Amino acid sequence: MAVSEDIELVVEDTQLPRRLKNEVYSVLNEKGISDVETADQVAQRVEHEYVESRVDPLDPVGTVSAQSIGEPGTQMTMNTFHYAGVAEIDVTQGLPRLIELVDARKTPDTPTMKVNLEPEFANDRDRAHEVVWKIEATRILALGDVSTNVADMLVSIDLNEETLRERWPTVDSLDLIVNDISETIESELGVETYHQGTTVEFGPDEPSYRDLLQLVEELRDIVFKGIGDISRVVIRKEEIEGQDEQEFVLHTEGAAFGKVLEIEGVDASRTTTNNIHEVYRVLGVEAARERIIEETMDTLAEQGLDDVNIRHLMLVADIMTNNGEIESIGRHGISGNKESVLARAAFEVTVNHLLDAAVHGESDELDGVTENVIIGKPIKLGTGDVTLRMGASAPSE
Amino acid sequence: MVDATEHELVPEHHLVEEERLEEILDEYNIDRTDLPKIKRLDPALRDVDAEAGDVIRIERDSRTTDTAIVYRLVIE
Repeated sequence: MAVSEDIELVVEDTQLPRRLKNEVYSVLNEKGISDVETADQVAQRVEHEYVESRVDPLDPVGTVSAQSIGEPGTQMTMNTFHYAGVAEIDVTQGLPRLIELVDARKTPDTPTMKVNLEPEFANDRDRAHEVVWKIEATRILALGDVSTNVADMLVSIDLNEETLRERWPTVDSLDLIVNDISETIESELGVETYHQGTTVEFGPDEPSYRDLLQLVEELRDIVFKGIGDISRVVIRKEEIEGQDEQEFVLHTEGAAFGKVLEIEGVDASRTTTNNIHEVYRVLGVEAARERIIEETMDTLAEQGLDDVNIRHLMLVADIMTNNGEIESIGRHGISGNKESVLARAAFEVTVNHLLDAAVHGESDELDGVTENVIIGKPIKLGTGDVTLRMGASAPSE
Repeated sequence: MVDATEHELVPEHHLVEEERLEEILDEYNIDRTDLPKIKRLDPALRDVDAEAGDVIRIERDSRTTDTAIVYRLVIE
């Protein structure tokens, strides 16, 4: 940036944060302002606006945030609509997703992950596929046809050679793969298997029609490869953030954040999930805070409501992670842990709270906003918490 | 277990020295229990040797300014 030292001096002298200072520089450059006087005026004016726009002491920021998120919330779609979107993966959106986030549900309605790959995997579709098969759960129905032979009391699996080759790209011998599969069946179901070519057969110990069907049922649930929680993986080519290049990125249906991060080929520094609890468990409270902000902002932006100021969402995330773990906003979380009986009673399930408070002989200090609204006293916020004396002169000496 | 500190979502966590802590608490005029909390076993603290009662300094990339510095009290 080509600004003179004098200009730099006046701009650096202001209280502006780095980002705004840089913006001042670039505007000065753009407009070709080189004289210090004008630059100083610009900087002063920007600083004035900046200071003006800051939150005043005793401003009810929480209430303002609630309104600022609540109003656009009324414009959101009420129905979860599952759609074949860009990634062909169903994701809960709109109001249901926002509610899910602030309620801090243990698992989201549609858990999903964005899996970034190490460079050597991210640029090669075949290698990216290797990772896909390590993540996506492979069950028997994907591998071949299962039929029951009632006369001989046998379950027979006719494996598809092509599928096997595709899903075990690193194993050359077909025999080894089939062997692997039958061993998995043996250890999971506790039966003996016989295999020849690509056919695997097994049956119950005692000839019983019920046991035979039971075995087929159990067979369907066995995960031969990949992670059980992840039912589908989609590969997409995406721009690398801030660069012109593209890379392969995996999107999953279902999430197992901790497990996926440990898989070879997965970039454990960029991969994320929409399950904030998993982020909390694996990466800690700060990362969870970050994800809450990103997810709430994305949910709003997706509905065209991205003019909600990020500071409101940051406040929400700060409060939700204030105790070192994720707490929901609501009766079981933040609002339910309030000190004041009246404030809790005013929120939800009024009678229960009043009854419990009476049983335990609780008292209310009347410090908060809600309590004072209930009893009709001025709240301790804004002009309610300062006393003004008109016409008093400052002490002279 | 994966190294959480390697992930881009995880900002840097450092232990605050006791003398420095007094200054910070004085500056904001608060007690250390007024600070937000962080669990002792938080994955992001694996490289920090923290005990309950210590204070952690966290340097976040901020969306509204360059870096935001926040403090969390280690609990449990």
